[in-house]
Amino acid sequence: MATSEIVVNKPAGSSAYLRDPDVQLMLRVKEGDDGAFAQLVSKYQDRLIGVFTNMFGDTALAEDLAQELFLRVYRARQGYEPNAKFSTWVYQIASNLASNSRRTKGRKKEIQFQPSLSGSQPLAAGEDAVAEKSALMPARQLDTDELRERVQLAMQTLNERQRMAIILHKFEGMSYADISAAMEMTPTAVKSLLARARETLREALEKYVNNAN
Amino acid sequence: MEKLSRLTTEDRDNLAAYLDGELDEESTRRIESVLAQSTVARNDVEMLARTYEALDLLPRPHATEDFTERTVATAKLETLKKPLSQQLWFQKARRVAVLLAWGAAMLLMATCGYALTYHWIDRPNDVLLDELPMIQNLDGYIEIDSVEFLNRLSAEPQLLEEMRAGEQE
Repeated sequence: MATSEIVVNKPAGSSAYLRDPDVQLMLRVKEGDDGAFAQLVSKYQDRLIGVFTNMFGDTALAEDLAQELFLRVYRARQGYEPNAKFSTWVYQIASNLASNSRRTKGRKKEIQFQPSLSGSQPLAAGEDAVAEKSALMPARQLDTDELRERVQLAMQTLNERQRMAIILHKFEGMSYADISAAMEMTPTAVKSLLARARETLREALEKYVNNAN
Repeated sequence: MEKLSRLTTEDRDNLAAYLDGELDEESTRRIESVLAQSTVARNDVEMLARTYEALDLLPRPHATEDFTERTVATAKLETLKKPLSQQLWFQKARRVAVLLAWGAAMLLMATCGYALTYHWIDRPNDVLLDELPMIQNLDGYIEIDSVEFLNRLSAEPQLLEEMRAGEQE
């Protein structure tokens, strides 16, 4: 059986990225234009805070991480070369920042998602929480807030890389190729990662989605 | 006959990529062929799509109003040149200067102390040194006995010659 391949469209060279308006802004930042930096911050702040919030479930932490990310971008301005789309570069930093943050603070934040659980095995516990709450209200149709809560808990059943890949794909509209560049994986590995993540989400949410419709 | 077994492991892995439009043409054709024949596969794809749509409910928070301003200000603050007093070379130079100043002060104090003791404190040996010529001729001075005799001796050269002749005998 032939192995399926992910369609990857790579630009011919680094000059191809010069058409990216954000790359142009970053090049202006490199030249000392702080106004361009402010434009980049303004453009990406909500997106990054959204990414970090859905990674850690903590808006204040998300804002801190987003600010740290922008500071890293600013510090790196003098050595900046447009070797990728600006957004890919930014999400690569975001992915690294999330991994580092997870290592240092992640346990506490992960447990915050599941305050009623013992927390010794957070990922498995998240699945239990979804099922447990379902059992309490089997026949009732879920309202939006309840479904949102189930979705948040279902997201916590994913591991960190699955969650990041899902967020980048779903909310940032990134292709598998861009996600692979941002997360430093092959496109095939991203396909596999996303397939497993979506299967896990399907298993966790299927009954609620059916209920809600 | 429609069976679950129509979906291979690879097919299942490809369902999400198919929904995302990330498969090549050959794999897309294969998945579409499977979907056309299998309600199980169609149901799986539909549930994958619907559960993925449910993620739209996740919160999409906005940055606080002053986020941009604070971030830009913080970034610029980091790049501002540090005051002279906070620069490393200045701190090292200041430390060396303090050590040198202490050394100079101690040297000055030592010099002053030496000068004070040298000029203002009596030393017995210095007195002896000052009086050394007299000490060396002390025996002669004792024999001379008195100043009146010396005056008489200088006034009468004949007496001096007699004394020298007496010593020679």
